[in-house]
Amino acid sequence: MISKILIANRGEIALRIVHSARELGIKTVAVYSEADRQSLHVLLADEKVCIGPAKASESYLNVANILSAVDITRADAIHPGYGFLAENAKFAEMCQTHGLIFIGPPPAIIRLMGDKNKARQTMKKAGLPILPGSDTVIDDFAVAKKIAAKIGFPVIIKAAAGGGGKGMRICRSSSQLEDQFPIAQGEAKAAFNDPSLYIEKYVSGARHIEIQVIGDSKGKVTAFGERECSVQRKYQKLIEETPSPFIDEKTRRKMMKEVEDAASEVGYQSLGTFEFLVDENRKFYFMEANARVQVEHPITEIVYGINLIKAQIRIASGEKFGFPFELVMRGHAIECRINAEDPTTFVPSPGKIDFLVLPGGEGIRVDSAAYGGWVVPPDYDSLVAKIIAYAPNRDLAIRKMRAALEATTIVGIKTNIPLLLEVLSHTDFLAGQYNTQFMDGHIAAKAAEETL
Amino acid sequence: MNDKNKQPAVPEESAISGKIDYDELRKLIGLLEEKGLSVFELEIEGLKIKIGRNAPQPAPSAIVPPAGPSAGPEAEAAAAAIALAIDVAKGHHMITSPMVGMFYRASDPASSPLVDIGDIVKKGQTLCIIEAMKLMNEIEADVDGTVVEIYGENAQPVEYGQKLFAILPLS
Repeated sequence: MISKILIANRGEIALRIVHSARELGIKTVAVYSEADRQSLHVLLADEKVCIGPAKASESYLNVANILSAVDITRADAIHPGYGFLAENAKFAEMCQTHGLIFIGPPPAIIRLMGDKNKARQTMKKAGLPILPGSDTVIDDFAVAKKIAAKIGFPVIIKAAAGGGGKGMRICRSSSQLEDQFPIAQGEAKAAFNDPSLYIEKYVSGARHIEIQVIGDSKGKVTAFGERECSVQRKYQKLIEETPSPFIDEKTRRKMMKEVEDAASEVGYQSLGTFEFLVDENRKFYFMEANARVQVEHPITEIVYGINLIKAQIRIASGEKFGFPFELVMRGHAIECRINAEDPTTFVPSPGKIDFLVLPGGEGIRVDSAAYGGWVVPPDYDSLVAKIIAYAPNRDLAIRKMRAALEATTIVGIKTNIPLLLEVLSHTDFLAGQYNTQFMDGHIAAKAAEETL
Repeated sequence: MNDKNKQPAVPEESAISGKIDYDELRKLIGLLEEKGLSVFELEIEGLKIKIGRNAPQPAPSAIVPPAGPSAGPEAEAAAAAIALAIDVAKGHHMITSPMVGMFYRASDPASSPLVDIGDIVKKGQTLCIIEAMKLMNEIEADVDGTVVEIYGENAQPVEYGQKLFAILPLS
């Protein structure tokens, strides 16, 4: 059993873990940087330990200080949240050798999924369809050229250690590939300290759709209905919804079944998300799996009526686990990410929130660590709040979300709410006809309109 | 009494001079408490001191997050304000913990403390040990000076940035 969890994270996810642990009767320890002294997760946790200066590499990524904080507070488990150390296999391993419960997948799973190319090959063997591409990582342009010629342009090169779009390049010709290959290598080296790349056939007009899984310690894996995450800009998701307006019941069942089988095959435990590209013919291809809880997990929770964080903690404590009722998807949920940024230029807008009104009421859930008077620090990501709307169908959920965003008042910093409202009124979005190029198209169209 | 031809070699001493000393400040703080004042400001010869004390807190309601850092010094804890006033006034050099761990004043339980209040320390001299990750980390003085305050309790946990020692540098 777990009696005290140290939360190696900050912001809304840290707060969400505090609340979930408290419901389970488990104490929490917040760790924080000097920039987060006044943060809500610090103020609401049972104990707190300052672990370093604002810079993440010296605080939220400072393994020595985090494990020392475990020692001095006698915590028996660590929840890494998302980002920071969440997908660091070495850290998960260190927690284990330290006699701690790491609330996440086993280190071997984290390591496998962290190597994007290896994950792809393993999932192919486990039965998931993947896009044509390279079988191994490539460090030489000549090899890249040969593979690209075989699978046909356009192709996308990706960093094997990748994530967040870094080291990712779409190439439509051999000469473009020649130009982009070394740039992508350099970017991958800089971001992940690993220049290894791999190549995939590029599918334009595809959707980004993902399947949430949870695996217990007895080897049972459960998959949930899809999340549609195609509204993104620079590989950063902005709006997610479930179910997808594009996926039919047959495809859904097929995806869930195949993911369940593949995840069981590799012994998946804890929470995870399998990301897919889905083409216009609803053919789906495995892209990567994220071995952690994801930002957008609440929409799945809402349509199923469950709490994934609590489930994750209970599984980590070795409990025999089951949801209290049959898992059925009901209604429609949408999440909007409220970021502290200029809605037109996307320049981050940290600073003091002078006045804050967050929406509420029937069908609205807000996951946020913000409060009036709080200063959004410039040192971390710009997520201020996640607003989730739930209604019996998609149309009603969109209306509810619009009303919620209109009622949201954040004074002192700029937010992307105006942009989110534009999307929620966009004809293509309303029709459910959008793909990963949607945001770029919308932003370009707006810019063109302004120059007229 | 005042001989015009005789310039004082040292600045005249007054009850409260520009170079306020520790005891004087203690007296001020004592006065503050005695009179039940919450804020006291003093400006003399370019030296400005502001001392604050906790005003009685309203009854705790549900969850009331404290005002943000820019809400003003009044919102900060009185102890911190007083300590800061002392530090600033005295030109104390603070040694803070560079890591999270257990604070030990001696290198082993049988030994006497590495330093005590009043000790003169040299730059590079070990002041305490912080145990982190099963390693004993020696925390050194980074100035020459006199140890005037020791904040950490022996064998107690310390967090990053926590004050450990105040040193009055030798000038």
